[in-house]
Amino acid sequence: MAASPDIRAIPSSWTASESGAAKEALDALETYKKKDPSKVVVRFRAIGNAPIMRQNFYKITASNRFQAVIQFLRKELGWKTGDPLYTYINMAFSPAPDDTVSNLFKSFSTDGHLIVNYSTTAAWG
Amino acid sequence: MSTYGARHAPSAFSTPASIALFRRLTWEGTVPLEIRVDAKELPANSNRGLECYFIQAPRVSYLPLVVPEVRAFLMDVVFDENGGRVVKEEEWWFERDDGGLVKWHWPIGLIYDTYTTSLSPSAATSSSGPTPLKLVLHLASPPTDKLLLAPSAEACKQAFMGQLKEADFIRWGNTKRMTGLRKQEQDGIWEGIREHDFDTYWRIASKITPTPSPNAQGGRSPSPAPVPPSSASMVHTRPPSAEPGASTDANRDAATAVRSVPARIYLPDGPVLQDLVPPALADGAPHTLGRFLHTHLPLLFPIANPRHSSDPDLAYALIQGVPCPLDAEMAWLGACMAGADGWVSVCVGIGRPGA
Repeated sequence: MAASPDIRAIPSSWTASESGAAKEALDALETYKKKDPSKVVVRFRAIGNAPIMRQNFYKITASNRFQAVIQFLRKELGWKTGDPLYTYINMAFSPAPDDTVSNLFKSFSTDGHLIVNYSTTAAWG
Repeated sequence: MSTYGARHAPSAFSTPASIALFRRLTWEGTVPLEIRVDAKELPANSNRGLECYFIQAPRVSYLPLVVPEVRAFLMDVVFDENGGRVVKEEEWWFERDDGGLVKWHWPIGLIYDTYTTSLSPSAATSSSGPTPLKLVLHLASPPTDKLLLAPSAEACKQAFMGQLKEADFIRWGNTKRMTGLRKQEQDGIWEGIREHDFDTYWRIASKITPTPSPNAQGGRSPSPAPVPPSSASMVHTRPPSAEPGASTDANRDAATAVRSVPARIYLPDGPVLQDLVPPALADGAPHTLGRFLHTHLPLLFPIANPRHSSDPDLAYALIQGVPCPLDAEMAWLGACMAGADGWVSVCVGIGRPGA
C-alpha cells in the first residue's frame, strides 16, 4: 500500500501495510482525546457542622478532575489548603482525585446533578 | 427469572471451576519493573552503577508497598551512611522512562498495561516475553499537584478503600456491603494486598464481590466448585450486620443482578472513560466487551460483535494484561477479572496486540 503524504504523524516503526488502518485508528484516538467542553451541574451539600453556602448549585466543566472541584469548593468556602475538608459523592464514598467530573456524573448523578457532600471531619471513611 | 433467553449462547458462568481459576490467575499475575534512581539525584559517595532494582511485582499491588523494598536495597547497596540519612522517602516519586508521571494510587498492573498500550504496535511486540517497565525513581521535589496523593502506604490504603466503595456503589446503588464490614475486616482486605495473600484477601472480599452464579442457574446457591480448599472462601457469605431483614437468597448478590459493572476504559496516554455498564442489554442478551467498547468508542470498535476476519481490526483491549476477546461478558469480567479494587480496567491499544 503506497504511503500517502498525510500519514507523517504515524510512528515510523509502523509498517506501510498497516498505515491505512493505523491512520484511521490514530484519527479516532485524536477525536477521543479532545476535552469535553460541556458543563454539568454539581450540587454541594454540607454535612455535620460544615457551613452551608449561599449558592449550592454550580456548573462545572465536565473534563475537570475531581481535584479541581475540591479546590473550587475550598475557594468558595474561603478555606486554606491546610484546613480539613472531606468530600463524598452521594454520602457514600470519596472518589479518586483524578476521576473526572464527567465520569462521576455519568455514573452517579441523580435528578440531573452530581451530589458532592462536604464536611470538616471524615464521615464515611 | 432467567436473564438469558434460549437463543443466546451458554453463559460464561456455566463453568464454576474457571471462575476460581481466573480469580487466582488475576491475583497471581505479576509484571517486571526496572527501577532506576535518577543519577543526578544520587547522594554523594553513592555506589554509582548499582542504583537499579529489578522486581517482579504483583499486578494487584501498589508502588507505595514496593517502596520499602527498594529503600532497603538502596540503603544496603547504593547509599553510604550519610546518603542513607539524607534521603526522605516522603519526597520520592516515580516517572516512566518515557516521561509519563506515575500515580501512587493506580494498581501496578494498570500502570504496566497503560504503558503497553502507549507503545506503537511493533514496539509492543517482543519475542522474549514482556518488556520490563522502566521507572525512574526521583528522590526529591515531587510534583504534588499532579500526583494528587501522598506517597505513604496509609494514603494508598485510603484510596484503595475508596475505590472498593465506589465499585460497591456502582454495583448496588449503595455501599452497605462495604460499610457492613467490621473495621477489622476492612483492614483485613488491605492486609491481603500488603501481604499479597489470596486467602486473606478473598476471605473478606467474597462478602462484597458479586457471586459468580447467575440467576439463570435455578436460583439456588451454587455448590462449591471442585477446587483446592484455599478457594473455598469464594462461596459467598453475607455479613450478618449488613441487612438484618434480608433473605439469604444468594441471587441478590449475583454478578448478573448488579445494576452496573464497575469498569473503566483507559485510552493510550489519554482520557479515562467511566459510565454505567448494565450486565444485560435491553433484549436480555449479556452485555459483552465488544458492545461496551462499540458504544463508547465506535470509531475504534465499529462492530459490536466482530465475527469475520474481514472486520476492521483498529484496536484491541487489554484486561489484566491479556488481549481480551470481544465476546467476553462484562458481568463475568466483573466477577472474575476485576482488580483487587473491584474495577475492570480495560486498556485500549491501537492496532493489534503484541506477542
